[in-house]
Amino acid sequence: MSNDRKKDWKKIARANGLAIPDAALERIAQSLDALEADFRPLVRALPPETEPATVFHAEDPE
Amino acid sequence: MTLLEAAAALRRRETSSAELTAAALQRIERLNPSTNAMQTVMAEAARERAKQADQELARGEDHGPLHGIPVAVKDLFYTKGVRTTGGSSLFADYIPDHDAAVVESLCAGGAVLLGKTGMHELAYGITSSNPHFGAIRNPWDRDRIPGGSSGGSGAAVAGGMVSMAMGSDTGGSIRIPASFCGVVGLKPTYGRVSRYGAMPLGFSLDHMGPLTRSVRDAGAVLNVIAGYDRRDETSSRRPVENYVPEIEPSIRGLRIGLPENFYFERLDPDVEAAVRAACQSAESRGAEIVLLRVPDIAALNTVARVILLAEASALLGPHLEQRDRFGPDVLALLDQGRLVPATDYVNAQRLRRVMQGEFAGLWSRVDCLFTPTTPITAPRIGETATAISSQSEDVRLAATRLVRAINPLGLPALSIPCGADRRGLPIGLQIVGPPYAEALILRVAQALLPAEVAVPRL
Repeated sequence: MSNDRKKDWKKIARANGLAIPDAALERIAQSLDALEADFRPLVRALPPETEPATVFHAEDPE
Repeated sequence: MTLLEAAAALRRRETSSAELTAAALQRIERLNPSTNAMQTVMAEAARERAKQADQELARGEDHGPLHGIPVAVKDLFYTKGVRTTGGSSLFADYIPDHDAAVVESLCAGGAVLLGKTGMHELAYGITSSNPHFGAIRNPWDRDRIPGGSSGGSGAAVAGGMVSMAMGSDTGGSIRIPASFCGVVGLKPTYGRVSRYGAMPLGFSLDHMGPLTRSVRDAGAVLNVIAGYDRRDETSSRRPVENYVPEIEPSIRGLRIGLPENFYFERLDPDVEAAVRAACQSAESRGAEIVLLRVPDIAALNTVARVILLAEASALLGPHLEQRDRFGPDVLALLDQGRLVPATDYVNAQRLRRVMQGEFAGLWSRVDCLFTPTTPITAPRIGETATAISSQSEDVRLAATRLVRAINPLGLPALSIPCGADRRGLPIGLQIVGPPYAEALILRVAQALLPAEVAVPRL
């Protein structure tokens, strides 16, 4: 997750057993690369104590 | 006629719910072939309900301002016994066995449900050019998109088919059509309006709200649909206020933040001029314009995109074995979402918390923010790229650029028309407030837009 090499989306899709045709992967690769480039630096700056904004209540609030 | 004007006319016995409903159905019959705003028209049920509403009002049984008023809801709100497609061929024949919370509230408020409005496929896009049910067209120029994903709601309200249509907003889907169609669109605070019974797209980003022809109408609808609902785990128990602003409210002394960074960096010049004119108008009414730098909106947009890609694909992934059931744009987004690792989703939700904290600091300096809603006016149907300041930009990314970041923050925001471009197309002003400040942003909007929105001649 910490390296800046471009991901091989075809290999990732295959490794995950996703049936995405190669042509479709080629069409979305640029968008995914751009999103990676924008997102990765933000993650590196995250303070470790920050918890995610998920919603779960162990007890029904009612 | 606005919703509240119709409500007043009903109570003066100048009209009846049956007459309002018949007029709306006639207008739909005339305009829907060229706009495709309405996906399903419930003519018989609406006529029956209108008759009942007239009888109730005649015997003094008044359920409030929506009583007897014809309205529509986006075709992702469950309606008991009535087809709810979500704009998808997957659900083309889906008939829910219960109503969405919003539909329940509207009906309890006495509204006459006239039908379901068309939308972008699965609410996952901004053109409303639906591959299964046809392109929805903007009443201002029928060669242009109405925006989306609540495009049918925007077109139905701008076209005068109904005075109010409900929409949903995951990355701008109420505010974008409000901007492109020249109507009022309100996205309330996350948790203010129940999501129960609305087909989800991004669980943690979906918001429900009205599109109307006046600011006061939006407040009147919020009065009816806001409130705690135990069936929506994110629903707030915070008490509901009266959201209808005075007719001529004061905004004297209010501090309106005008961002110096991001929001004005790449805009159609007509949009920029109209938004700056709206600021001057607010200043002339005694508000103080505070120039300020806002937190990293581009980063928030990125975080919102990661969250939505993951949530939408988690939800719709099981249907992806039937690839031919999706339009190409939605399919591409769903494929992308399946390649977002779980760690990225968790980290995006962590970043959301950090940015929420950064944004919260703004509200000690200003009461609300003014920004353009969209950097452009309505593009032509089929356009995939738009030129802004000689730079080409993907239409979807351009349309969502100034609105998307507000969704992960869950803040209330609305769009009101604030002028027109050189072609006469509407321009939207976005007003954003702190959590649960719907009454405040509606007051500011009402000060700037005290009358019914301008409507196209149809």
